[in-house]
Amino acid sequence: MSDSHAYPHEPTGVETRKLGMWVFLSTEILFFGTLITTFMIFKGSDFPGMKLTDVYDIPFTSISSFILLMSSLTMVLAHNALEVNDQEKTRVWLLATAMLGAVFLAGQIYEFTEFYHKGFELSTNIYSSSFYVLTGFHGLHVFIGVVLLLALWGIGQRQKGLTLEGGMNLEFVALYWHFVDIVWIVLFTVVYLI
Amino acid sequence: MTKIIEPKRQSSIFRRPSSETGIWSWITTVDHKKIGIMYGYAAFFFLLIGGLEALVLRIQLSQPDNNFLTAAEYNAMFTMHGTTMIFLAIMPISAAFFNYLLPLQIGARDVAFPRLNALSFWIFIFGGAFLYSTFIFGTAGAPEGGYLAEEVGWLGSAPNGGWFGYQPNAGMKYSPGTAMDYWAIGLQILGIASLISAFNFITTIINMRTEGMRFMRMPVFTWMTFAVSFLLAFSLPIIAIALFYVTFDRKFGTTFFLTEGGGDPILWQHLFWLFGHPEVYILILPAFGIVSEVLPTFSRKPLFGYAAIVFAGFGIAFIGFGVWAHHMFASAISPVAQAGFGLSTMVIAVPTGVKIFNWLGTIWGGKLKLNTPMLFSLGFIGMFLIGGLSGVTHSIVPADTQQTDTYYVVAHFHYVLFGGALFGIFSGLYYWFPKVWGKMYNESLGKIHFWLMMIGFNLTFGPMHWLGLQGQVRRTWVYAEETNLQFWNIVVTVGAFIIALSIIVFMINWIFSKRNGEKAPFDPWDARTIEWTIPSPTPVWNFSKAPIVKSLDDFWHTKYSEDEEGRAVKRAEADQILLDLEEEGLNPSEHIELPSPSYFPIVLASGLPFLGYAVIYKSIPLALIGSILLLIGGFGWGTEPLEEEAFEDSHE
Amino acid sequence: MSDSHIEHPTPQKYVQIAIVLGVLTAIEIALYYTEDIVGVFTDPLLIFLAVGKFIIVVGWFMHLRYENKTINRFFIGGMILALILFTIVMVERASANYF
Repeated sequence: MSDSHAYPHEPTGVETRKLGMWVFLSTEILFFGTLITTFMIFKGSDFPGMKLTDVYDIPFTSISSFILLMSSLTMVLAHNALEVNDQEKTRVWLLATAMLGAVFLAGQIYEFTEFYHKGFELSTNIYSSSFYVLTGFHGLHVFIGVVLLLALWGIGQRQKGLTLEGGMNLEFVALYWHFVDIVWIVLFTVVYLI
Repeated sequence: MTKIIEPKRQSSIFRRPSSETGIWSWITTVDHKKIGIMYGYAAFFFLLIGGLEALVLRIQLSQPDNNFLTAAEYNAMFTMHGTTMIFLAIMPISAAFFNYLLPLQIGARDVAFPRLNALSFWIFIFGGAFLYSTFIFGTAGAPEGGYLAEEVGWLGSAPNGGWFGYQPNAGMKYSPGTAMDYWAIGLQILGIASLISAFNFITTIINMRTEGMRFMRMPVFTWMTFAVSFLLAFSLPIIAIALFYVTFDRKFGTTFFLTEGGGDPILWQHLFWLFGHPEVYILILPAFGIVSEVLPTFSRKPLFGYAAIVFAGFGIAFIGFGVWAHHMFASAISPVAQAGFGLSTMVIAVPTGVKIFNWLGTIWGGKLKLNTPMLFSLGFIGMFLIGGLSGVTHSIVPADTQQTDTYYVVAHFHYVLFGGALFGIFSGLYYWFPKVWGKMYNESLGKIHFWLMMIGFNLTFGPMHWLGLQGQVRRTWVYAEETNLQFWNIVVTVGAFIIALSIIVFMINWIFSKRNGEKAPFDPWDARTIEWTIPSPTPVWNFSKAPIVKSLDDFWHTKYSEDEEGRAVKRAEADQILLDLEEEGLNPSEHIELPSPSYFPIVLASGLPFLGYAVIYKSIPLALIGSILLLIGGFGWGTEPLEEEAFEDSHE
Repeated sequence: MSDSHIEHPTPQKYVQIAIVLGVLTAIEIALYYTEDIVGVFTDPLLIFLAVGKFIIVVGWFMHLRYENKTINRFFIGGMILALILFTIVMVERASANYF
């Protein structure tokens, strides 16, 4: 943001929108914190019926987790390419990130369908309810992220290309995307492995 | 898109995409002042509705075994009274103050994200409308083992599970129909609005301060806004998720809070009060801020212990996160938790006490001017003190068990939220009235309002302490004649109508003074903070030049110096400074740019109620309409040139 | 902010970090299958690894290391607050069943 006038901004030296984005991400911690807490409390209870371990397919989830993790790499490479104003590379890495995200989402849909066919439905018991709501909420975040990435990629096709100026630019989408990734790092451990 | 105001505001204004006056200027505005005013009026409207609901409750309770209301109607009325007052009246009226004053107090031209600000206002409006549409579309059937469906009636077809929606009472079994869905989703929408404004205010305070406005020079009201925004940002997500669970339980057959499926009703209480207790401070801290502005001004002394008040405010905000389970002493929580939360509840009284002493220290030895704002602030200290003290009694777990769900608790939190928050808010409404409207309110009517409200308030809520200790139970539509509770109940009801009368006086004063009041000077109170350095009413551009702040209470020090004995002495040049300020404020010598109006906040916000209805009625078409509105709003928003870019373009 | 951009790592560095992340993930999955051997240490180790990955992504990919202290305080503060609150809730819920 510029100070074209004597009107002062940003006495802290942080860009206002970036600050806003980080405040948003900080509150997201509380969103996911609540979901994870609920999940943990129910996971630790001993309600009869189908357990999570009855349906899990760890090798499959491991692969999709790895894919999402690597999408963080492509994201940061896109960001890096834009910092040196390499439009071509930026677009490639953006598209790669969006594709990896889409693959992860497809994996989640496949996983949900599989579980459903095994009789593990949303309202089966508290294990299934808390599992679907928690991972579904994360999936919604990934979906929004993919939409944002594709929108950025679309904007990048224009003559002017992308910049690190202005509204929901690549930097903020990148922050969001990495955040979605770190949430999955936690979820993968808490939901599946422990 | 940037709107450019030439110094004298001539032809260029017509080139802007939107109108300056009329309804469209309000719908598309991104001006924090207009948004603040709209917040204020909307919140006051809901305050009236919530007040009417309270009067209906009081009529029912004025006689033993009364049948003015059925049990179903009574349930709906007290639920809607609580929900309305908290989420639709006090929170937004505080938001009105934040919006209007925050940029003025830190010397900014607007908030950090003006369009987001408009968005949160419109989401609030749509959320309130959504919640109240339950009276049109909602249904509340007969709960299992409860009253019959034909007793529900029109008034009863509203949310009826209490404002805290305890489970499993608020579940499908005991609250059938759609009314509680309206409650859960309505609060969800209102939460989004508050969350967005919290981001906005946090970034505004951190990043939009004018030159020299260091943190420790900010007015206390700004500090309290800061604290409230933190509380909102970190507590609303918790309730949002908990409300998701409620909606899933009610609509999609999950059992998060229902024991028959392995769920945990106490978890709802945890999640609700994890939000609900910070919420209490969200409601009261803005009033703390207002009072801390009013008292020094009308005592003609600096605030006693500025730093202590600021840190106490943050202490309250921080500890406020750690006391939530004292709402649950009567629930099955472990004894260790009871002891721990009892202790933390006692501890939070300390910073609150610090503040009370600071306010008293401010008044001590001051030359008091007992104008209406000052009266309300003094009333605030007294009433809040009573409420605070009865609050500490709840930290004793056995006593709390006795008081739980009685009118003692009702008395306590009304002393805090009415005698505290609302008195503070009225103080602020009178204090800044001249700044907002450029007119003076009628002082005699203001004083009548204060005394009526003070008497009515104490008649209403004072006897509730005794009623509660005598065993009158909350949320129950009748009491038996043999209980001998009738006398004080009649007093309470009379008190409630006196409050209503005082509100009418307030409204007459407001409407009359806004039209025909005396013209207000730009610094009618001889005030201390920089929002009084600009003309009244505030010009669209706030400050003609970015003010440069050199000290705490900067404006005061511009006008006054001290003699050898530390007494304030008016500077010789003070009058000239004021004249210059007014001249510059009305006729800016610099070129001024403001963010331009936008249609998209209201479009985006209008999508949310449709999504809400779509969940309640499981309707795909409604979901599509909602999503399309969100998409149009989001796309328009994203492609609309940003102020910052245009800011540079138009300058170069 | 502009000076912080200069310090950002190079693409090679990012790839190296990603390899570390991949290896950590592989260890996690291995731990899941060797739970019988590692025993009670499995869960703490898994949490330790997840926290490590979390910090790496936040610190390097999200550039939090290079950011202004206001942002750091905010994010870390939110993190700590969430941890404290939710630990209390979980402990309370777990213990309530035993008293």
